[in-house]
Amino acid sequence: MSAKDMARANYISSKLLGRKRNTVEIVTEEPIENIMKEIETDTTIDRHNVMDMCQELLNEPVQTLNRKFALEGLMFALNSTMPPQMVALDAAQAWTVYWITNSMQVFDQETLDDEDRRKIVDKLFLMSKDKGPFSGGESQLPHIASTYAAINALALCNNIDNCWDALDRKAIYEWLLSLKQADGGFTTCNPVGECDTRGVYCALSVASLLNIVTDELTEGVVKYLENCQTYEGGFGATPFQDEAHGGYTFCAVASLCILNKLHTINVEKLMEWCSARQYNEELGLCGRGNKLVDGCYSFWVGSTAAMVEATTGVECINKSALRKYILNCCQSKTGIALRDKPGKNGDFYHTNYVLMGLVITESTFKFKIDAERKSPYDMVSVPSTTESATSDLIPINPIYGLPADTVEKFHKHFT
Amino acid sequence: MSFQFNIKDYDDVAVVPLTHDGEEDNELCRIMYSEEYKQVMSLVRALIKENELSVRALSLTSKAIELSPAFYTVWNYRYRILEHLLQEETLLQNGHDASYLLNKELDWLDEFTLNNPKNYQIWSYRQALLTHLHLHATFTREQPIMELMIDDDSKNYHVWSYRKWCCSHFRTYGHELTFTEKYIERDVYNNSAWNHRLSVLKQCDIDFDQELQYAKGKIEYVPQNISTWTYLRGLLESQETPKVLVDELLTFTTKFLDESSYALEFFAYLNSLPEVNEPQKAIEAYTTLATKADPIRKNLWDHKIQLLQKS
Repeated sequence: MSAKDMARANYISSKLLGRKRNTVEIVTEEPIENIMKEIETDTTIDRHNVMDMCQELLNEPVQTLNRKFALEGLMFALNSTMPPQMVALDAAQAWTVYWITNSMQVFDQETLDDEDRRKIVDKLFLMSKDKGPFSGGESQLPHIASTYAAINALALCNNIDNCWDALDRKAIYEWLLSLKQADGGFTTCNPVGECDTRGVYCALSVASLLNIVTDELTEGVVKYLENCQTYEGGFGATPFQDEAHGGYTFCAVASLCILNKLHTINVEKLMEWCSARQYNEELGLCGRGNKLVDGCYSFWVGSTAAMVEATTGVECINKSALRKYILNCCQSKTGIALRDKPGKNGDFYHTNYVLMGLVITESTFKFKIDAERKSPYDMVSVPSTTESATSDLIPINPIYGLPADTVEKFHKHFT
Repeated sequence: MSFQFNIKDYDDVAVVPLTHDGEEDNELCRIMYSEEYKQVMSLVRALIKENELSVRALSLTSKAIELSPAFYTVWNYRYRILEHLLQEETLLQNGHDASYLLNKELDWLDEFTLNNPKNYQIWSYRQALLTHLHLHATFTREQPIMELMIDDDSKNYHVWSYRKWCCSHFRTYGHELTFTEKYIERDVYNNSAWNHRLSVLKQCDIDFDQELQYAKGKIEYVPQNISTWTYLRGLLESQETPKVLVDELLTFTTKFLDESSYALEFFAYLNSLPEVNEPQKAIEAYTTLATKADPIRKNLWDHKIQLLQKS
């Protein structure tokens, strides 16, 4: 390493990362042949900053998940008031509840007791006085994403005090129908809302869990989703051929799996797109071409790859490399446990999706009962035997973003 | 009545607090709202409850949105207020002019947008406005804000998406090639710009060969760039391709095999096409990718090799 590079590494280590100990140069054996010849633009400058931040952490051996720290933080958050800056999530309160409780349950299903569950249910029903569709908070309009998050959070409450039976499924169904658009998509809210693959996914996830899917509800959906796949192989937000993006791709692919129609799109190209999201240097996944790695795509793209894996048997991402990115680069030593990338603070959103991403890297995916039937409720992660030490997390269903047995039990309740 | 927010204008309103407002109770994850936030939102809830669709309600929503940009309920309420204010009867009553109100609304929205680049609601609100309320909207009026926002963050997903919607809504595609060129010139790795270019290409009156030259030129400029190679492939797949063109692209691609993993990938893809049918060459390229050029994607390359060996 040149003196200039060493000085730079020192600067990053002491000033940016706040490390006290001296920076030492570690020469790793056989560096990957660097064939990148590039020019300096915003894209490459941003990427190099991230690569530099990751490098030192990745030179260390694979870290273990700090379960105790993460769980304590989550339990504390669940039982505390949120600081005023959380007002940014005032219209997404069901999400906060889902992210925190789901993260806890992915760690260990004993983490919530009945009293916690009662509090969760009380909180959720503040957002739905009539127990139909849910809003972002009390006295707000019903919203499809809030309804999705609330139903998932409710699924985690194990029917405490018969809260599952309290749901007005008919009202939810009729409301979902009212959000349906002529092109097969769903808007998030009426009269002003966004129409994109998120709406479709939230509607189908809720409807399939509550067993209220009808032909009328799903009419035109597959066509709509097919039109969202772009020349890159991933899916954009809308059929206007928006740029392929990890979040919208997850929504489209999970929707197709719910309908058992994944084979109607170009799966080969989807695999290529998922695989191209992973970088040799950072090891993590990015959400679109020439963008930066972010821990949350460990789930959005990782889960898409998992659904493809369960359906085709082909694993298209490098799970153990991604695992190293998650464990070495996404664990925050202060505040909330898991984060986007080095240099960022952790938050509940990233904690939930990075954690489920970690499950994905330690699992293989298949349909639990009958591969031919391909029921979305049966798609599960199975702990893989190749990893010597796992993080000991709960198997998840990649379609719904919930523990696998929660999905099974919740869905069964309504059949 | 002024369009400016002034708390005194709401003295007569009986506010609607939240169930647990200010209580020491054990509501899960309760947010500690500031006093100002509580006051404004309890007024909003009160006016929504009364379905008051007035100028002062509009001013109140400006204040509420400023405090909580993602509060979609307020955006929806604002839309209904504006819809009402634009009705002929209300216009007469208030002595307003429709285009004055609409321009004022767009100006307000522009200013708010500049300070909130990551917000979802702005764009769906704008779409609803242009679709249902503002019948004389133009693409030209939309251009400056889109350009400012993309200048500021050249990969802003919402804005590129909104631009596509605008092109389709106003049926205008004439500006798009120049527009994307501006951002590609600035940053050849800008995938959003490349994607936009391909998505509008069918509507633009372009010369296919010229576009091919454009993409090839950008590859020669920077060979290791996923955006340009996927663009080239997208272009190729967008129409029936004569064998001679595939051969020409093969020759072109061969030049970059030592300096671009994406060139290797494209080379393997071309060799797998039935027109070329050189599976062995494709397998070699995939092997180089798996072992040297792009080893993290080994799983995919192995899968490709297997597919070729099976057929």
